[in-house]
Amino acid sequence: MSIARMKKLSVIGLVSSREELIERLMTLGVVEITDQEQKLSDNQWCEMVTRDADENTVSVYDGQIAKASQALEIIEKYSSGKKPLLRIKKSIALQEFQKMLEGEQGIGEDITQINALSVRHAELTNASNKTEALKLSLLPWLEHDLPLEELGTKTTDLILSVVPVAVDVDQLKKELAEKAPASVAELIHSDTEQHYFWILCLKTERSEVDEVFRSYGCSQVHVGNLTGTARENVRVLERKAEELADAKCQVEDSIRSYESEKQKLEIFFDKLVILRNRAAIRKNLLVTKKTFYLEGWVPASAAAKACNLLAEIGCYYQIEDPAKDEETPVLLLNGGFSMPFEAVTKLYALPDSRSIDATSFFSLSYAIFFGMMLGDAAYGVVLAVVTGFVLRKYKLEGMTCQLVKMFFYCGISTIFWGAMFGSWFGDIVTVVAKTFFQADVTIPALWFFPLEEPMKLLIFCFILGGIHLFLGMGLNAWLSIKDGRPWDAFFDVGLWYVLLIGITLLLVGAVPQFAKWLAIIGAVGILLTAGRNRKGFGKIIGGFTGLYNITGYLSDVLSYSRLLALGLASGVIASVVNILGSFGGAGIKGILVMMLVFVIGHTYNFLINGLGSFVHSSRLQYVEFFGKFYVSGGKAFQPFRENTRYVDILKEVN
Amino acid sequence: MNIPYESILFDGVFWAILGAVIAATIAGIGSAIGVGIAGQAAAGVISEDPKKFGQTLVLQALPGTQGIYGLLIAFLIMSKVGLLSAGGPLDITMAQGAYLFASSLPIGFVGLLSAIAQGKSAAASIMMIAKRPEELAKGMIYPAMVETYAVLALLVSFLMLNSVQL
Repeated sequence: MSIARMKKLSVIGLVSSREELIERLMTLGVVEITDQEQKLSDNQWCEMVTRDADENTVSVYDGQIAKASQALEIIEKYSSGKKPLLRIKKSIALQEFQKMLEGEQGIGEDITQINALSVRHAELTNASNKTEALKLSLLPWLEHDLPLEELGTKTTDLILSVVPVAVDVDQLKKELAEKAPASVAELIHSDTEQHYFWILCLKTERSEVDEVFRSYGCSQVHVGNLTGTARENVRVLERKAEELADAKCQVEDSIRSYESEKQKLEIFFDKLVILRNRAAIRKNLLVTKKTFYLEGWVPASAAAKACNLLAEIGCYYQIEDPAKDEETPVLLLNGGFSMPFEAVTKLYALPDSRSIDATSFFSLSYAIFFGMMLGDAAYGVVLAVVTGFVLRKYKLEGMTCQLVKMFFYCGISTIFWGAMFGSWFGDIVTVVAKTFFQADVTIPALWFFPLEEPMKLLIFCFILGGIHLFLGMGLNAWLSIKDGRPWDAFFDVGLWYVLLIGITLLLVGAVPQFAKWLAIIGAVGILLTAGRNRKGFGKIIGGFTGLYNITGYLSDVLSYSRLLALGLASGVIASVVNILGSFGGAGIKGILVMMLVFVIGHTYNFLINGLGSFVHSSRLQYVEFFGKFYVSGGKAFQPFRENTRYVDILKEVN
Repeated sequence: MNIPYESILFDGVFWAILGAVIAATIAGIGSAIGVGIAGQAAAGVISEDPKKFGQTLVLQALPGTQGIYGLLIAFLIMSKVGLLSAGGPLDITMAQGAYLFASSLPIGFVGLLSAIAQGKSAAASIMMIAKRPEELAKGMIYPAMVETYAVLALLVSFLMLNSVQL
């Protein structure tokens, strides 16, 4: 059982010491301060206390945080350096943290500057888009050498017009000549969508021209208030676009010049977050004129520290165990090997605080399943080396750290099973020896080759599955007993143990008489007891439906056949890759082909089967194992602490 | 070379190859469709939030396994009848060839349909990731439930193939 035991903490203190308490509780980081909404709706409480909220300060900080985070994003966006794959929090001493913030005024100004530059950049982008659009709209009129502002004379109209490309221009010209004999039309340009032309006509014939236009679907073009010819305008616009691009580059350069300030900005951001959180937590406090009240949860193991702090500051406090059925926040506590597998539990859902954390019960089987499914020792080495390197090189924390560590263990398990089944990059040694040295070499399997004796492995998978399922059922029984319902444990789990063991023995053929009676006792027992919580006729039906669940157990066990299937898949595909590689024959060319195919093929196989192994070993835990007993729905323990994004602040312990 | 068609039709190796074709082709088609369906959903999500590329790619890859299972069976059939070894194909009877052909059918057809169904399920999970990226694990489990049946079919194909005596 590895859910941390929680204690309930109630504190009364003087308002004058509130700030100090909040600050030091945050540094300590082990107390979750809970919301007191319920107390406020209680009349007795309501008369005495009010919520201690400081929304104004919080919103001021929120505003600053938003600006700082925006500025950081902008720097990141235009940054010239490479982005790191993993973001690692740097550790920094408190003194240095404070020293970095000495020029706080300057940092604030920098942020304003950066955000202003970004706005300027957006404006320039906008302007250059507009210029580009205008230029594009003028390009078809390049050959039109009259100034664009020229729209006719006293008695004539000059019309610029476009018509869909489907229209026959000659036909249009002919009709125009018939209806308005004094007009002149000239095609300037055609592209894939439209014909562009100009028409000169008498003002008196304008209505006839318009009519022809309408019948052909022409539309008049207005170029706005531009002066000069299209060519001149395009030239001007091009110059303008260049200027805008230059200006944009300059703005980007000036943003980049702030890159050196990035660390300061990050620290400033973290400081703002800390201050904001300190102000925000006050909404969970209740206050009178001179005193405040807070309630919270603290893990039993850290209770002493919290009490010392409270005593030091001079608060009155009370610490007690939660009521029997009270829900507490959930903090998983697993040591050593099981710790990283908490990630799998968290990915599913935290356990209910009154139930159990299954992590330590499935961690070993998770690693075994993963190893059997990836099933190649060399892949295991790759996985273990890569994750081991990451663990050494970077200081990871939280979920990422757990997952990486988990894959490290899974890698080791993969090496073990790969060696058992004699798979090292499939059969690369055999293939290479045969192709290049005409030798017959095989790495022997420590146990056996699954391709040669698949039934043996299949049965082994079922045995593993059976153990896994029995463990899950056992946990269910244990929960029932802990809950004071030992008979439920016997009826719902014990009888199934009897039946399933009986059937298994029958199938194996050992001690048939004993096995037969075992199975019969189990089946009859289930038939009689499965409907015990129902009424009347339901008792009988319940018995039968209970017994029918045997199909569920059958399918559960069969589900473990994926261990064999996925293990075969990665092994056989690895061999396929090796065979493809050997098609180049011996010699230099053959070696090159082999290397190329090896790298691409095995990378692909490793990734796709690694993903498959992760998904399917999770599935076996979630569906087959958790399905037997797991109660989810716990709320994570969220202690009030320095929730920084970029740096960890190290305080000297005095 | 002039081979009468009956001799091809009654040739064991021909039937074995046909089995390999069924396994690789039909299951492969299924995976292609399934991955395609998931890919469409993924592209839609990326248009809103390019940062989810990695997560959606993981989900998109899930329906791809049926094609691999098909390839696996095809490869095993080919290697069983000696197509991949230097000596050329073995001399097998038509009955043996037909057994091998039949053993390819489970993974072929279950692979086809389960990959498409898994693709749809993966697409739905990708949509879910768009709203709740923290629930990636659950989003992977739903498509994995579908895959169970492809795994079972692969197993049946493999056991049948393995039990054919040449």
